[in-house]
Amino acid sequence: MLSITAVSHSFNGAPAITDVSLTVQPGEIVAIVGPSGCGKSTLLRIAASLLSPDAGEVHTTGARLGYIFQEPALLPWLRVRDNATLLADAASDAPFVESLLARAGLTEHRDKWPHELSGGMKMRLSLVRTMAARPSVVLADEPFGALDQITRHHLHDELLALHSTQPFAMVLVTHAIDEAVYLADRVLTMSPAPGRITATTTVPLARPRHAGLRYDANFAAVCGKVAASLTAAGA
Amino acid sequence: MSASRTKRWRAPLASVSVFVGLWYGLAYSLDNNFASSDGSALIVPPPHKLFEGLNTRTVERIATATGISVATAFTGLIIAVVLGSALGLFMASARAVERAIWPWLIAVQVTPVIVLTPIIVRIFGPSFAARVFVTVVVAFFPIASNVLFGVRSIPQSWRDLFVLRGASRAVTIRELWIPASLPSFFAGLRISAGLAVIGSIVGDFFFTRGDAGLGRLINYFFLDTRSGPMFVTALIASFVGFGFFGVAGLLRKLFVDPWHKP
Ligand SMILES: Nc1ncnc2c1ncn2[C@@H]1O[C@H](COP(=O)(O)OP(=O)(O)OP(=O)(O)O)[C@@H](O)[C@H]1O
Ligand SMILES: [Mg+2]
Repeated sequence: MLSITAVSHSFNGAPAITDVSLTVQPGEIVAIVGPSGCGKSTLLRIAASLLSPDAGEVHTTGARLGYIFQEPALLPWLRVRDNATLLADAASDAPFVESLLARAGLTEHRDKWPHELSGGMKMRLSLVRTMAARPSVVLADEPFGALDQITRHHLHDELLALHSTQPFAMVLVTHAIDEAVYLADRVLTMSPAPGRITATTTVPLARPRHAGLRYDANFAAVCGKVAASLTAAGA
Repeated sequence: MSASRTKRWRAPLASVSVFVGLWYGLAYSLDNNFASSDGSALIVPPPHKLFEGLNTRTVERIATATGISVATAFTGLIIAVVLGSALGLFMASARAVERAIWPWLIAVQVTPVIVLTPIIVRIFGPSFAARVFVTVVVAFFPIASNVLFGVRSIPQSWRDLFVLRGASRAVTIRELWIPASLPSFFAGLRISAGLAVIGSIVGDFFFTRGDAGLGRLINYFFLDTRSGPMFVTALIASFVGFGFFGVAGLLRKLFVDPWHKP
């Protein structure tokens, strides 16, 4: 679906990431955790071909890429409904986009301007915009980073519900270990200077996953493993 | 009319009162300001004597001059908007283009219009086209530089969004560059609107043939020592400037304010 082989990239001579390889299967959710500045966004931009790497290769055979930015990145001159359809294929997708807006609780706000939305609503709209294009691979750069915990947990479940009805592969960059474990099949640990992948933790938790899982001993054990790998990486 | 509505007018009203007060003060403190024969104002006419020296012929001349200056400023501003926006977008398209064009824009910008006008009149003759040309030269820079700045300030994520969309250059310019640079375009337009009026009036000083615009008319009344008409003409010139400035602000209110919250 998406395969990245031995990718390296430097900014003005300073290596940002070195020799990173990553393969994502259809429907698989892979999380990347790592400290600030270790090259997560750089890796994601390379995966989306927004940045061409100094070395290495990126293959996205037949994949429809969706990208969720670190900030909502809504266009302020488009109303909510027009931001939602920006990436959608055609007018034929209008009912689908409406259903996504409804799921995100934005139907009654569809005629508003982005600046009239709360932070959480903006991020939900950003998710709707990406999913409206029916991507087969979603690259998400800390999409929930700026949200409060209640909103974040709610969106986790919305995302998983969407994923179960319409499976897409996903690379999810995050700072939050519990978020990575709750959502992903695999968690990759990235360490800084230069950015590289230093550990892979498989998440042996069955789907569908529900909110109660967060208080499960198995869940805590996996989180502990990821945390240990981050410490080992010197983060 | 609500209380807050009335409050809004308090400060401007106060400043106008102060202005009129200072005007009276000046008119009556100047030596020899009034003719001993009939008491008419010679240097600075006080507000209530402003229209004393106006006969039908003078009013007609002022009206014609206002028409010429407004037409010149308006046509020049429209061309400045089109040319300035096009140049701004063109420079934004590549650093090399910006580096090639920018020094020339600065050169035109720092050359006083007083110096450029005689050259333009020599080339074009004292025609309407020459008047408009002067106005364009004076007015286009704020628009070009603000559009360039507006495009340069587009966040990386918005640019990425259009790359991911697979948008062509034309679509990106139409749906990203132009709307994203509208707020700074209008900031430039407000300055250019004022400059267009100034350009049309300053340029007018050099047009010795044809009907006079406001600039030459002021000069004529000045040489003729007719203070009243000179002041009226000056006031009209500043009202025209006000009007242009106001229309630019109105357009901004209409097209940008609903969605743009800085
Ligand atoms: N456009 C750029 N020009 C120069 N250096 C850059 C650029 N983008 C990123 N870098 C550098 O590359 C390194 C990795 O940056 P990146 O944004 O990928 O980190 P990140 O892991 O996403 O951090 P965060 O978690 O804070 O978002 C950093 O040292 C950063 O300073
Ligand atoms: Mg980042």
